[in-house]
Amino acid sequence: MKSANATLHSRRRSGLTGWSFVLISVILIVIFYFYPMVEALILSFQTGTGTNLVFTGLDNYKRLFQDATFITSVKNTFIYLLVQVPVMIVLALFISVLLNDSKLKFKGFFRTAIFLPCVTSLVAYSIVFKYLFAGNGLVNTFLMKLHLISAPIEWITDPFWAKITIIIAITWRWTGYNMIFYLSALQNIDNSIYEAARIDGASATRQFFGITIPLLRPIILFTSITSTIGTLQLFDEVMNITKGGPGNATQTISQYIYNLSFKYSADFGYAATVSYSIVIMIILLSFLQFKVAGEKNG
Amino acid sequence: MKKTFALLLMCMLILSACGANGGNKNTADTGNAGGNTEAAKEITIWAWDPAFNIAALEVAKAQYTAANPDVKINIVEYAQNDIIQKLNTGLNSGTTKGLPNIVLIEDYRSQGFLQSYKDSFYDLSNSIKGADFADYKSGPTSLDGKQYGIPFDSGVTGLYVRTDYLEQAGYKLSDLQDITWNDYIEIGKKVKDKTGKALITLDPNDLGLIRMMIQSAGSWYLTEDGKTPNIADNAALKEAFEVYKNLTDSNVANVHADWSQFVAALNNGDVASVPTGNWITPSITAAADQSGKWAVAPLPKLAGNDKSVHASNLGGSSWYVMNVDGKETAADFMAKTFGADTEMYQKLLTDIGVIGTFKAAASGEAYGQANEFFGGQKVVSDFAAWTEQIPSVNYGVHTYAIEDILIVEMQNYLNGKAIDKVLSDAQAQAESQIK
Repeated sequence: MKSANATLHSRRRSGLTGWSFVLISVILIVIFYFYPMVEALILSFQTGTGTNLVFTGLDNYKRLFQDATFITSVKNTFIYLLVQVPVMIVLALFISVLLNDSKLKFKGFFRTAIFLPCVTSLVAYSIVFKYLFAGNGLVNTFLMKLHLISAPIEWITDPFWAKITIIIAITWRWTGYNMIFYLSALQNIDNSIYEAARIDGASATRQFFGITIPLLRPIILFTSITSTIGTLQLFDEVMNITKGGPGNATQTISQYIYNLSFKYSADFGYAATVSYSIVIMIILLSFLQFKVAGEKNG
Repeated sequence: MKKTFALLLMCMLILSACGANGGNKNTADTGNAGGNTEAAKEITIWAWDPAFNIAALEVAKAQYTAANPDVKINIVEYAQNDIIQKLNTGLNSGTTKGLPNIVLIEDYRSQGFLQSYKDSFYDLSNSIKGADFADYKSGPTSLDGKQYGIPFDSGVTGLYVRTDYLEQAGYKLSDLQDITWNDYIEIGKKVKDKTGKALITLDPNDLGLIRMMIQSAGSWYLTEDGKTPNIADNAALKEAFEVYKNLTDSNVANVHADWSQFVAALNNGDVASVPTGNWITPSITAAADQSGKWAVAPLPKLAGNDKSVHASNLGGSSWYVMNVDGKETAADFMAKTFGADTEMYQKLLTDIGVIGTFKAAASGEAYGQANEFFGGQKVVSDFAAWTEQIPSVNYGVHTYAIEDILIVEMQNYLNGKAIDKVLSDAQAQAESQIK
């Protein structure tokens, strides 16, 4: 009896210790995440430069739909999203399957090499890309020397090519990151499934679409959601490679928020509204992706 | 044992959290000079560009502390973008902790700050006289009749030219003394013919050239009130756009995408001329092998605008004293150095190359010196003379917001959209965007 009581007591005590650990992060998250989120929501209903903010109700949200710069930024962001995310996901999937081959030599080397871009600083690699793709940069020189093009491509100053440059840059930076998720998921697929398929005479392609893809579905969903969120928040690359130019041909929503806050006379109210538009878009897109890809997994 | 360990861990966490807090507090305090009364004689100044603004501050600091040894002056260097961010977030948070006593603000942005954060800047009307400085500086540095800024460097513009290229095309420097932008393009075509060199290099994301042109005619993106977009009915802006298109259509313009490419184009001898602010001088003289090949002509003017003169401004900035503890010391420092010391301005010019906007300084001997790099031309006294002719305009609070709209419309215009439609679209968008 006595010992049972002691156990109960100690269990309650250890429960308390556990909760105190959780409490620290809960308090920190509430202070540093939820409180600013609520403040930003309140801010998004105010307009004015600097500290001259007044409540204007839904005016800011109505303004979004008439703001040509905002609409262009959304369009640009969605072009990145629709082109870059699928390309990157497919590429990452393809590379991870190649690297998962048990007969491959120097596996560690290739994995590290492809993952390495991920550990470079966003700003540093953006600046390198800016110089690689400059009018007289390495890429143009290379293509000219190979006689693939006759005149330099305006990678940074042409509206179309500038978008391509940004897409190449982010694909280079993030493919390895997504590949790691696929690799670890692939290692969890039991080899006997493939063995059974081989005995049944399934081709490699058939195995890929019949086994690998369905079993990776939750990971594909996860990576496409994180990539979507990441692309919607795209900032560093555009800021450093093209500054949003030429004109606003590569400007993203995040960069517009920055401009509204710091480049123009600070209008933090409207900037907060634009930020919340991203929140709304992320929620809608994630919901959509869950519906399309995730329902079978419940 | 486990429990003790857990408790210990928790204590460590809490302690380190507190420790981190303490650390933050300390750094915040050192950043803020005016925090308590005993430190009131200590002031902090934020500025960018170590070779120019910071160097000028160091000179002023040395002068001032020699006479006032009890004042401690901290000069902190940040990039301009960082200063803008820190000021905006600091002023918006409502706490003056962490703000400097004196800050450098670009003239195009100053009204934005003065009007967005009223009472955050200290009225200097009793310390300095706005009339002591170049007239065009009074617009950006004052508000409601009060003088808030100490005007600093002049952004007076000139047309930097390669005399050797011009000679090959049959022109002399004297041919460039009173030209219009249209004449300028004609010269460019000949230069391109004879030398194969471009006349000018342009950045599609920077309409500095347009700003120079319209200010030379006393016009700006905004009307006199500094708030209403002035685009659709702006004759100077329309003509500037036409000149810009003419430049690109005549095939005399190169394209650059950033500052380093811009300077490289000058130093490699890729272009025959650069119309820009006088602050480019150090970058041009950096190519020592080109000594004697450069000269500075007055800025061309707009042919169709009778208000247009051969002088304009590009960039330039001024000092502002923040309304925090220590403001009296800060104001005194500024008034006695940048606001009065003619001798110091001579030193700033010879040592650093700063052309100030303090009128009395222009009569000093350093301003009259001939510059061998520019073929013996008295470049600085020319610039000082042009500074006095710069038309004063109100930059208002939305210069960069409107410029971003115009950059997009400029691309449309270059691709064939009609000029009136271009400007009326830009006007409509500016009106809807600026609140």
